[in-house]
Amino acid sequence: MKRPTTGRSRHSGGPNVGRPGFAWALPATIFFALFAIVPLIGVAVMSFTSWSGLGSPEFNGLDNWNKLLGDKVMMQSLWLSALLTLLGVVIQTPLSILLGVWAAGQQKNRAVLSAIYFIPLLLSSAAVSVLWRALLDPNFGIPGQLAGIFGGDGNLLGSQAGAIAVLTFVGAWQFTPLHTLLYQGAARSVPPVLYQAAEIDGAGTMRKFFSITLPQLRNTIVTSGILMVVGGLTTFDTVLILTKGGPGTDTTITPYYMYRKAFQSFDFGVGSAIALVLVVIATAISLIMVRATGYDKMNSAQEGI
Amino acid sequence: MSNTSRWLKRAVAASAVLALGVTLSACSGAGGSTANSNRPENVIHVAVYGDAGNTVEQAMVDKFNATSKVQVILDRIPGANYQQKLQTIISTDAAPDVFFNWGGGSIQPFVKANLLLPLTDMIKTDPALQSSFLPSVFNAAAIDDVAYGIPMRGTQPVILFNNKQVLTDAGITAPKTWDDLLADVKVLTAKGVTPIALGGADQWPTLMWFEYLFDRVAGPDLLTKAIGGDTTVWDSADGKAALTKLKSLIDAGAFGTNFDSVSFVDGGSPALLRTGKAAFELMGSWEYSTQQTADKAWTETNLGYTGFPSIADGKGDGADLVGNTNNYYSVIKATRYPDTARDFLKLMYSDEFVQAQLGIGNLPTTTTTEKFLDQAADPAYATFQFNLVKDAPAFQLSWDQAYPQSASADMKTAVSQFFTGKLDVAGFISAMQAL
Repeated sequence: MKRPTTGRSRHSGGPNVGRPGFAWALPATIFFALFAIVPLIGVAVMSFTSWSGLGSPEFNGLDNWNKLLGDKVMMQSLWLSALLTLLGVVIQTPLSILLGVWAAGQQKNRAVLSAIYFIPLLLSSAAVSVLWRALLDPNFGIPGQLAGIFGGDGNLLGSQAGAIAVLTFVGAWQFTPLHTLLYQGAARSVPPVLYQAAEIDGAGTMRKFFSITLPQLRNTIVTSGILMVVGGLTTFDTVLILTKGGPGTDTTITPYYMYRKAFQSFDFGVGSAIALVLVVIATAISLIMVRATGYDKMNSAQEGI
Repeated sequence: MSNTSRWLKRAVAASAVLALGVTLSACSGAGGSTANSNRPENVIHVAVYGDAGNTVEQAMVDKFNATSKVQVILDRIPGANYQQKLQTIISTDAAPDVFFNWGGGSIQPFVKANLLLPLTDMIKTDPALQSSFLPSVFNAAAIDDVAYGIPMRGTQPVILFNNKQVLTDAGITAPKTWDDLLADVKVLTAKGVTPIALGGADQWPTLMWFEYLFDRVAGPDLLTKAIGGDTTVWDSADGKAALTKLKSLIDAGAFGTNFDSVSFVDGGSPALLRTGKAAFELMGSWEYSTQQTADKAWTETNLGYTGFPSIADGKGDGADLVGNTNNYYSVIKATRYPDTARDFLKLMYSDEFVQAQLGIGNLPTTTTTEKFLDQAADPAYATFQFNLVKDAPAFQLSWDQAYPQSASADMKTAVSQFFTGKLDVAGFISAMQAL
């Protein structure tokens, strides 16, 4: 909201008054430097070494990077990561917008239902994955009991398409509540006066949704989109527990491949190189998203009200 | 809005992304000193592979703690990825003093990194630590003729288990030859029973089929040569014949179609066998204690077992075994209480330990084992296993233990891709050659 320009502010003076200085960011900066930048530098250095976790790392120049460049599984993992991320955004965004806007209503039953719907978010990803792994057991789980609906042999994790569908579904089951919450908050903060004005002009529910609610949710869509993209690119636990990157390497996404190289094959050098690739890509994508959407300008959606 | 704060916002946004991206990789930096003084006082930690067999280990620990000043704490490491977890902590202060392993290839990197305590001195003080065990088994944990492991639990050959009831209902018997097996598969598929339960999601149960097929068709030498560096053996006529035979079994529907979603560790494939949805399961001897934990009465009456079928025109003996030669306890150099560790290890050849292991279906390899066979949970099963091991001309250590750990992930991927048809014979061969 716009600050009153003619108010009786006790502070007088220039445009910087009332804005916190850099010192306020110091604790967070130190924390970030210690737990993100320092390890990142470590990982960068390690990507030029060969290390099995025992003894000392030995520098091996560009070996790890050359290995990665010619690695089919690595290239495939990047596409798979992109695909899973895209599926996540495409499926979760409309769902959570609709649910969020619905839940923004003041009715009691909506409050109760949204509280129930919120539960998956309280569970850890590992617990969620173990739960779904048991539920999707082809012989003793849901597909086995409801063969009529699922058809076939319930081998959901046995094909690439099936495994990707399961991962996307479990991701959506767990994370739409978070995004729903974001949209619920944003939808509630849309000034009622806009709807009242629209109603006077004869706008129906659909028209109000598309002409008022959606434009007002613009910044939230960007926020939630960035969270989904970054979350999607770093998805790991669901893959580890549900598919172990399989069948074969069909769901070996980049973070899982990093784990496999570092912690299963004990090749920490290549693992670090993959981690670095991931950091660069995730950073680039979110910078592009922030800039392309104009999110960095931080303009209010309510200018002029 | 001023330029600086815009820059700041952007930097913060970018940083947040970085932080998320790095979280996963940040934990890869292990290390630290291993001086004795950094280790906990008055306790030693014993790490074991967490499974149904832990009851005996806990009983031994309780017995030991009753009289010892330095207490033993049993850490049950959940079974899946045991080796990875071990390698991650073994060079840190959190390393267990004594740990479970498979001997041979599984401890070699630790010996190379100078992390393990040679047991020579312990054996000098207490020669029974060596002389109580079958020499062939004891020596499998010696690296360059120095002993690094004391046998514990037991030997674990891979056995073809069956559900007796299902076989009776189908009017068939457990197969003695490969052709018998193919015939059984035909009968069972016609009846709508999955012939063989397979925990394909874990990948290592799938590997067992390769281990036996290669042994029976090409003989035990092939793998010895392959590990020795001669990768051309994978491309040999014998190697191809083994793969073709296995392929025909898969194509006959022997494993059903959904094995990729079934896991042994989660209890999926043992349940298939127990509930009669499958007739056979090829599994290590621990299948017995797994089934016993799940349903004791069923295990006693319905769990059948035979050795792997022989293959008529193959080079390997029909009595050859694959599996885990034995499990071992090794001691780390950094331990604060080597004497306590030694006293604890002495329990591994005690009569009580041998009897307790036999009681849960394991087969210890002490020199005294034979005289206690009749006290086993199922004496017939214990005697069957004992004779299998005694009569086997060759006992191949599981490939994932025999190969360096670094090859294991790629090997298991190749194995599971061959079963799903993603890799053909040639593809599998080149994958194994690339290890």
